[in-house]
Amino acid sequence: MPEIRVTPLGAGQDVGRSCILVSIAGKNVMLDCGMHMGFNDDRRFPDFSYITQNGRLTDFLDCVIISHFHLDHCGALPYFSEMVGYDGPIYMTHPTQAICPILLEDYRKIAVDKKGEANFFTSQMIKDCMKKVVAVHLHQTVQVDDELEIKAYYAGHVLGAAMFQIKVGSESVVYTGDYNMTPDRHLGAAWIDKCRPNLLITESTYATTIRDSKRCRERDFLKKVHETVERGGKVLIPVFALGRAQELCILLETFWERMNLKVPIYFSTGLTEKANHYYKLFITWTNQKIRKTFVQRNMFEFKHIKAFDRAFADNPGPMVVFATPGMLHAGQSLQIFRKWAGNEKNMVIMPGYCVQGTVGHKILSGQRKLEMEGRQVLEVKMQVEYMSFSAHADAKGIMQLVGQAEPERVLLVHGEAKKMEFLRQKIEQEFRVSCYMPANGETVTLPTSPSIPVGISLGLLKREMAQGLLPEAKKPRLLHGTLVMKDSSFRLVSSEQALKELGLAEHQLRFTCRVHLQDTRKEQETALRVYSHLKSTLKDHCVQHLPDGSVTVESILIQAAAHSEDPGTKVLLVSWTYQDEELGSFLTALLKKGLPQAPS
Amino acid sequence: MDPAEDWLVESLRLYQDFHAFDLSGATRVLEWIGDKGVFVAGYESLKKNEILHLILPLRLSVKENQGLFPERDFKVRHGGFSDGSVFDLKYVPDTRLLVTSGLPGCYLRVWQFAEDSDVIKPVSTIAVPEKQGNFWPRVAVFSSVAPGVLHGSRLSDLKIVDLESQKVMYSSGISDSEELSSLQVLDADIFAFCCTSGHLGIVDTRQKWAPLENISPNLGSGGERWCAEVRGMGQGPGSCIASLGSEGQLRLLDTRDLCHPISSVQCPVSTPSPNPELLRVSWAPGLDNCLAISGFDGTVQVYDVTSWDGMGIQVEPLFTHRGHIFLNENKMDTAPQVTTHTWHPCKPRTLLSAASDASLHVWDWVDLRASC
Repeated sequence: MPEIRVTPLGAGQDVGRSCILVSIAGKNVMLDCGMHMGFNDDRRFPDFSYITQNGRLTDFLDCVIISHFHLDHCGALPYFSEMVGYDGPIYMTHPTQAICPILLEDYRKIAVDKKGEANFFTSQMIKDCMKKVVAVHLHQTVQVDDELEIKAYYAGHVLGAAMFQIKVGSESVVYTGDYNMTPDRHLGAAWIDKCRPNLLITESTYATTIRDSKRCRERDFLKKVHETVERGGKVLIPVFALGRAQELCILLETFWERMNLKVPIYFSTGLTEKANHYYKLFITWTNQKIRKTFVQRNMFEFKHIKAFDRAFADNPGPMVVFATPGMLHAGQSLQIFRKWAGNEKNMVIMPGYCVQGTVGHKILSGQRKLEMEGRQVLEVKMQVEYMSFSAHADAKGIMQLVGQAEPERVLLVHGEAKKMEFLRQKIEQEFRVSCYMPANGETVTLPTSPSIPVGISLGLLKREMAQGLLPEAKKPRLLHGTLVMKDSSFRLVSSEQALKELGLAEHQLRFTCRVHLQDTRKEQETALRVYSHLKSTLKDHCVQHLPDGSVTVESILIQAAAHSEDPGTKVLLVSWTYQDEELGSFLTALLKKGLPQAPS
Repeated sequence: MDPAEDWLVESLRLYQDFHAFDLSGATRVLEWIGDKGVFVAGYESLKKNEILHLILPLRLSVKENQGLFPERDFKVRHGGFSDGSVFDLKYVPDTRLLVTSGLPGCYLRVWQFAEDSDVIKPVSTIAVPEKQGNFWPRVAVFSSVAPGVLHGSRLSDLKIVDLESQKVMYSSGISDSEELSSLQVLDADIFAFCCTSGHLGIVDTRQKWAPLENISPNLGSGGERWCAEVRGMGQGPGSCIASLGSEGQLRLLDTRDLCHPISSVQCPVSTPSPNPELLRVSWAPGLDNCLAISGFDGTVQVYDVTSWDGMGIQVEPLFTHRGHIFLNENKMDTAPQVTTHTWHPCKPRTLLSAASDASLHVWDWVDLRASC
């Protein structure tokens, strides 16, 4: 029975560690290879033993696909390919290929240098891993091998994020990764065509939420920044080079322009160049508005935002500074933080998740006294604000995507089954599709009915067409032929041709049925009565009365004979070949009903 | 310039906090469960409607360190489907039961939600004696060990039925077939009613029908439609009823003397209300002498009634929420109408409001009179 099997490999219910194994028509694909940021031990990696028990990963897996550069989707990739062992192709989009290694290296530094971890991948491993990457363009059909092909679709969410369609023959699966159905200031919304996959796999972490509008989240950010600078305070925003930083800069620039504000905004050295470099490189991945304005004015060359110099941190008066790195774990952002932390007029806005062990994580947990190097204690009096700018699809977004792709079935990962029964009912009702919610480690098996294309010989087709009735588009039509399977091709040919090809003799099967009729007249008259009756009843068929007294209907022969014992009974012999079974049965039943009274 | 962006910049000054959500279907219902959750329900006639139990964003419930809670989203804690439209929904306190009313108006539905699942299931119906097409019964709940459901679309068919046994515990027993616009339970034995004509009454269920009421020959004339809300429990000093008419008139009455309003004002709203069934007036639980009105257009207006005294005075709202108009973003050809609003039980200046474009706002307005 052909089937599609899906197994989410991450353990536990939390977000993170996205890693899904899909088996489709004999091909095995791994979707994402994420790290769980909350754990420090092996629990942060997906459970690969599920696959490795089958032997070498490279032999078992046909390919690995990475949806985007967030660590909960690609963080375990170097560990997987270099420490567990995988040498096959790793597919991802061009921006993901460019940005992934940077984030992986940053993360490695935190884990090894800051936290002193031992069993972690090295810089060389990251490089070796990236050598296995094959980059793909949007909407480009990529042949992984003769049978397996993949295609990337725009997902919004972050630069380079994609949803992937995996196709083998007529069976296909679409994996969404993380996506966003509403455009923001620098990225567009996710989009997919009506590709009608057998299965759509989507993350459901936010499936039971209704998201606050983007405008209100931006408003909150602007309000906090504005209030702080109004009272003379300084705002520190630790960011990664890419991601929300650009979005927030565009937002502040627009606001500053509108309100005619003079308070300086700074951008960490190196950040602007890096951002410019990547966004120019991947300009097709940004939204239309940015692409249009990029020609006249580089969207990332701001009027109100200037490059930062470390000396500025000591300047009096209000200012806003975007500085790397994003979790306050080292470098410039940490330096600035130490200078500003003691003043309650100041504010630090953390725009994303911080890994355990970083200063960012500590202050977001509410810690107000931090132990720094040399046993120095830093008292944090500045306001700490945690803001979420992540762009994920909520319940409404998931419904929209299902409506666009029109899958046969939907599978939700990373949700808690008991808390999603309502969503499942909603999807099943609205789209009339089955919805599955496997727990991590649980396999869902979905039977499929793949369509198998079969060639039909022209001769056979012509003969069927010549047999009178025109074919109707919606009605199934019975035709007799022989299916010949040779190598990988299927052909439907006439029986004669098949016999000829196979060098076999044809056998004829003929059925004869006896119908008893009460009739005292002679056989020839009975036959004539039969002929008249059938001629008038079966207007669509060719009914003939042969010279020898027998009646034919198409190729079916009816002969009348006298009953051996009872002269008042006539026996009709109705005979037909195997091919005319349908008509033969019909005639027999008709004749059994009797003949109409002959006029005397 | 984008008017929505303009309004958002303006909003920095006007609101302490502001959240805007898009439901999958517009609601006319905003019913609290505790102070952390609300129920909403759809009212479309031709498709299945959703009943949702939404949990407010965590940051609205915490007292300290609000800044450390980044989530600004509603969580859908429970959901269910209703074939008919839902115009009224009441939560039965201390239970896992809901009662809804809508069209067709010949029965109420009782629903249940469980702890270990997220589905709201229909459990039973309560038949009501309404025969005609467009009338639907208003509902209020007497919460007690054996909860009772007060319902009726007209004074003549007002009844209280025991929720579990469905036995009728009380009925008005009168023939007056005036149409009702609202019912409100005040305490274990007392409820208030308001008819569309403006006829108000407070009923003690320990006696046969003998309400304190404001019968007057002028009621019902002019075709205006009225609704009302009693402040607090309806007893004790300062207890007051606010009554709102579809021509924009707002009357304040003392519960001890319903025949003589304390004051009557004309609110600056566009009149008449395009859909008087949506009229709503509500008292602020956390502020002295403040109330909110909606149902005329896409706004919610907040008034301070402290110095209102006398008839026919002109008043200005303390605050007007225009978010539903400005954030509409061309989703509909016509301007959205606010369908209902409610005050947060604990946060004094926080309200929730819903509109016909399926938007749902949570807003904390700034009292611009405060000098500090």
